[in-house]
Amino acid sequence: MNAMAKPLPTGSEDTLAIEEELKRLIIEALSLETTPEEIDAEAPLFGDGLGLDSIDALEISLVVSKAYGVQLRSDDAQNHRIFASLRSLAAHVAAQRLR
Amino acid sequence: MADFLPLLPRAAGEAIAFRDGLPLSVAAFRREASSLAARLPAQGHAVDLCADRSHSLVAFAAAVLRGHPVLLGGGRAGAAQFLPTAARFPDAYVLADAPVAGCPLPVIRLDGAPPAGEAPPWPDIPAGRTAAIAFTSGSTGAPSAHPKPWDALVAAAQAAATRFGLREGDGPPAAVAATVPAQHMYGFETTIMLPLQAQVAVEAKETFFPGDVLAALERLPGRRILVSTPLHLRALLSGDAPARPPAAVVSATAPLGRELAAAVEERWAAPVLEIYGASEAGSVASRRTVEEEAWLPYPGIAMEEAAALVPGLGRVPLGDALQLLPDGRFRLLGRIADIVKLGGKRASLGELNRALADVEGVQDGVFVVPDDLERNPAARLSAVVVAPGRSAEDILLGLRRRLDPAFLPRRLRLVEALPRDALGKLPRRALLALEGK
Repeated sequence: MNAMAKPLPTGSEDTLAIEEELKRLIIEALSLETTPEEIDAEAPLFGDGLGLDSIDALEISLVVSKAYGVQLRSDDAQNHRIFASLRSLAAHVAAQRLR
Repeated sequence: MADFLPLLPRAAGEAIAFRDGLPLSVAAFRREASSLAARLPAQGHAVDLCADRSHSLVAFAAAVLRGHPVLLGGGRAGAAQFLPTAARFPDAYVLADAPVAGCPLPVIRLDGAPPAGEAPPWPDIPAGRTAAIAFTSGSTGAPSAHPKPWDALVAAAQAAATRFGLREGDGPPAAVAATVPAQHMYGFETTIMLPLQAQVAVEAKETFFPGDVLAALERLPGRRILVSTPLHLRALLSGDAPARPPAAVVSATAPLGRELAAAVEERWAAPVLEIYGASEAGSVASRRTVEEEAWLPYPGIAMEEAAALVPGLGRVPLGDALQLLPDGRFRLLGRIADIVKLGGKRASLGELNRALADVEGVQDGVFVVPDDLERNPAARLSAVVVAPGRSAEDILLGLRRRLDPAFLPRRLRLVEALPRDALGKLPRRALLALEGK
């Protein structure tokens, strides 16, 4: 174990907190049969990984809008990155919320 | 009907789409479609994977001009599942406005350069020529194809335009924003065929999330119509109210609850009109959900107890049982046999259960349909499975290879045995108990 923690990128503490919270909120909203600990934050949200689809994308947009006041948009050029994983979604929410 | 029907019987100066709030005129649209048509191969079948709906409109017009049927595979979201099906059609190719990763078919890009000069005059389209092919099921194996002759598409568009007051002289032109893809029968009829045949201009940008819809409603001018589904309407209602609500809302793909319809009407002060239809028949009837239970068939459509008589298509069997009323309207009595509908797609439970049985390690198993599937837009299937030594993830992985994601069980419970009775049947109550409800 390295005693020195790696320097965290700016805002990542916030991102980590949001990531944990999002796991809970998404499990609840989508009635997923899993626990927050079982969700790999770096696994793809759609296709393999969590295996979500566009109906779920809409539900996730509601969760994110209600909990953080962040509106997801289809025309966001970064969308494929935002929805790549829970971690990237959390990072997007963290960034948008700061504005 | 005539032997030939025009592709775009509209005046040159009218708007057919809005890009960033700016109108795309019929004349400019003709130039774009002619220019793309000139770049298409001599023959083929087109798959439209454009994100921008005005590009989908250009893609369809260009394909029709070249006599190529467009395969309605659901658009980009389900492209990975659909492209292998498309590849079985001769000379299939993809039309796209962005790179398509790992596409097994040739991709023709819409280049976006505005062509100069006048478009050559467009010939009328032979009435019987297949202009689009819709697909159903998709639950397992190959989806079945439903060819749409040009006269059937035109007749359906004219009937819808009459029903919803979208013909020339019916009032101000309509601007349509839609939460459904242009490559699904409902979205195709409302956002591709209507702009070609009626006084309708369509929002170009994708409008899927509530934030997209609110922005589009603010951006679009005039008489704005939102084409949507119960799922999207529920999502829209739970968020901020639109600053500029639409003049009317149209819903299809799943039954719209009266409460949801009433809530939308009250909050937005706009009528909510529900369309009844199917990929095989297209849209065949409508109703104002808060006011009436009975459906009024579109002009030119006649209904039978489990079928619709559709101009250009003939007698088309439906997945629902109908009660015909003396005034020509009808009531829906319920789904026939084992059809489930999710996310605008249909599957037979029999097929789903067969797919489950085919997964390695599964000894017995059954899909369970929740009681509220027809009422709750977010309801999902679940499954109870006997598969010793296998995990729920193993089973899901196997199903994912065989099924459209919409039909994947949201809860998958592993049990030692299914509560089959002496006849081998599964009492629903016992299943629900097992499933943990």
